[in-house]
Amino acid sequence: MNLPAQLSYAVGYGLVGKAALWRQRRKDERAILARMRQPSGQLLAPPLLSSARMKELMSRHYLQARYATGVRKVAWVTSGAPVEILQALGFLLIYPENHAALCGARRKAVDMCVEAEHAGYSRDLCSYARTDIGTVISGKAPITRIPKPDLLLCCTNICQTVLYWYRVLAHHFKVPLIVIDTPFLFEEAQAHQIDFVKQQLEEAIPVAEQVAGRTLSFPTLKDVVHAGKRASELWLEVLNRAQHRPAPITAFDGFTNMGPIVDLRGEPETIRFYETLLAEVDRRIETGVGAVANERMRVLWDNLPIWYRMGWLSGLLAQRGVSIVASDYTYAWGELAPMMDPDRPIESAARVYLHPILNRSTGNKLHSMRRMAKDFQCDGVILHSDRSCKPYSLGQIAQRDWLANEVGVPAFLLEADHSDSRAFSEEQAGNRLEAFIELMEARG
Amino acid sequence: MQIPTRTDAIAIARQRGDRIAGVLPIHYPRALLRAHGVQPIEIWAPPRQDPTAGNAQFQAYACAIVRHGAALLLDGPGRDVDLILVPHTCDALQGLGSVLLDFIKPRQPVLTLYHPRGRRQADRLFLERELRRLGDRLQAVTGRQPGDAELHAAIDTEEAANERLARLCLRQSPAALSDRERYTLVRSREYLPAETFITLVDARLPERQEEAGRPAHDGARRPVRLMLGGIVPEPMSVFDAINGMGAAVVADDLACGSRRLYKRTRGPDPYARLADSLMSGPPDPTLGSPIAERAEYLTTRMRESGARGLLVYDVKFCEPELFDLPQLRDRLSAERLPMLHVEFETATTIAQQTLNRIEAFVEMLQ
Repeated sequence: MNLPAQLSYAVGYGLVGKAALWRQRRKDERAILARMRQPSGQLLAPPLLSSARMKELMSRHYLQARYATGVRKVAWVTSGAPVEILQALGFLLIYPENHAALCGARRKAVDMCVEAEHAGYSRDLCSYARTDIGTVISGKAPITRIPKPDLLLCCTNICQTVLYWYRVLAHHFKVPLIVIDTPFLFEEAQAHQIDFVKQQLEEAIPVAEQVAGRTLSFPTLKDVVHAGKRASELWLEVLNRAQHRPAPITAFDGFTNMGPIVDLRGEPETIRFYETLLAEVDRRIETGVGAVANERMRVLWDNLPIWYRMGWLSGLLAQRGVSIVASDYTYAWGELAPMMDPDRPIESAARVYLHPILNRSTGNKLHSMRRMAKDFQCDGVILHSDRSCKPYSLGQIAQRDWLANEVGVPAFLLEADHSDSRAFSEEQAGNRLEAFIELMEARG
Repeated sequence: MQIPTRTDAIAIARQRGDRIAGVLPIHYPRALLRAHGVQPIEIWAPPRQDPTAGNAQFQAYACAIVRHGAALLLDGPGRDVDLILVPHTCDALQGLGSVLLDFIKPRQPVLTLYHPRGRRQADRLFLERELRRLGDRLQAVTGRQPGDAELHAAIDTEEAANERLARLCLRQSPAALSDRERYTLVRSREYLPAETFITLVDARLPERQEEAGRPAHDGARRPVRLMLGGIVPEPMSVFDAINGMGAAVVADDLACGSRRLYKRTRGPDPYARLADSLMSGPPDPTLGSPIAERAEYLTTRMRESGARGLLVYDVKFCEPELFDLPQLRDRLSAERLPMLHVEFETATTIAQQTLNRIEAFVEMLQ
């Protein structure tokens, strides 16, 4: 640790930054409250008041990251990685996928993708990876400055892409890369698969300890797992509230508010945030406020969002009274909560991190979609055929056909990309969505 | 001695009473299948296969190996295989395996194999257990339970064939065989029994002749020596095209070729040997090999073989290949070893645009 860095951290983050972000939150809250007081008649309900708090939490995280070099050890991790060990060791965690999603939402991703493409990375690669690699090699900071990693942690439970991507990062930064390899579950998990993940987690500890310069405290690890479990449970409760009619939140609210459960899982303030969010959603239910003013049809969303067209898409659907009430993507950070066991942190992590929806079969995903379509009383399913996410997307043609023909729920594929707007045609997508809505209307 | 075709190999295997397995790329335990009386016939983006049936299941951004492979299994000669083995090589083959198991549900059993993405002790132990699981599945399908002696014998035979493959891939003299002949022979390993492959290689390329070597194209201009990388060189006429441009393939980093040069193993436990063998190949992006390790391996192979440039000839949408290329290019460039990357969509012909780029690369190296 060096003194100037600590001083800069204390002032820039601890003293000035946090206060500025607190003031910004108050300002945002006042603006939202003003919108809430406006006469009704809008297609969409005003933003959730909690979203101001979410913005503060995430901004604070990135601000902390900005000043972290020389003060805290930094680990870059994949979104499905078993981060509890690193959190207990005091690492500041950076999620390049989350940063790339932010770039996508703020329409900065294409610029970073182009940087990567100029360096030779194919446009056929995942746009999250291209955004991140473009940011790294260009040295640009489209959102905020991200500190260099001391350690990389890659878990293959969301895709193999992250393995190739993190090998590129390891080669670039010359820092240790821990790979937690999670065999894909074509069927139920078997003992040797769980043992394999557990053994890797155990072997990761000394590597992480060496980089952290401290020894893992198991009581701290248990606390982190406990906090992560509680936050995941709350997140799931929030999402499940959309089973009410009218749905108090949409999947777009889920996409917007998932930052803390991905990036800050295991932090006490994440629990407080989701408690507040849940209470606000419950107030909407009590007062009969629907996220879409005139909810006529309810739809399930499959796959990642189209970050750069969320506003357009939610507006288009709201005009027709369509509420996207659930998403199997946002659900992924909640549905495994029951498997977490703070008293057996490593063993339970081995099971938990084998079981994300993306590490399970295409048939299992169909099963999840069927269940969600039933629980959330959906009239249709939109499957985002995401050019950048093959594990999520390959299998969708069969899933769509089954949903439509065997389950009797209209379903259609929407061709796009989660971050690269060059792979999206608004006109074409709009036309196809209109046709899909008409199909749902015709079915009554 | 003529190289039998896939059709010949299937007919002979059937006469022998063997079952036929359609096997997707890349790494799998041939010996385990053979010991169970199963002849593997590999499926690598067959260019003559109409991909329509595969296109009906997978988006256009899935690679041709998946779309053509699926079509071959659903609507082509692959319908007649007795079982399907899908190694988990990448996200795309994961999708194919899962869709086969959960939706298409072909009449044949679909088996899977997960190859760990590292070479740690945990990976090695997992692979051994994964191979035992596959062995149990094969036993359930075939009703055969080979003993250790049978497994060791099958492993020994496959390892002898691997040595012939190494002879073909590692000591290439342009004069001994034309590139197309050599790689037709290399690729016959995809479907021929090891015994037949050994006989063929020994007849075509006796060890003595290969070691002696001869200068290529006596009196003529020496060809530009290339290393060929990628997953699979389709169509095979790419070799004729390369030769026609005045170049020769003197080394490869092909998934269907040199990346499967597994080393000899020993030990009392056949499953341990199988695991050791599968983990002994050269660096491979699909197995998570560090990029620096790959770069070092490629540089060494190019130096050894006298290759002056690396032509990476890739099937489109192959993520494991694409991620490594910029950093590999930088490293090779520092060693004054130029690299060209071209992509192809599987078809019976090669796009003129692709040929032009290869030709320009060859001219640059001359």
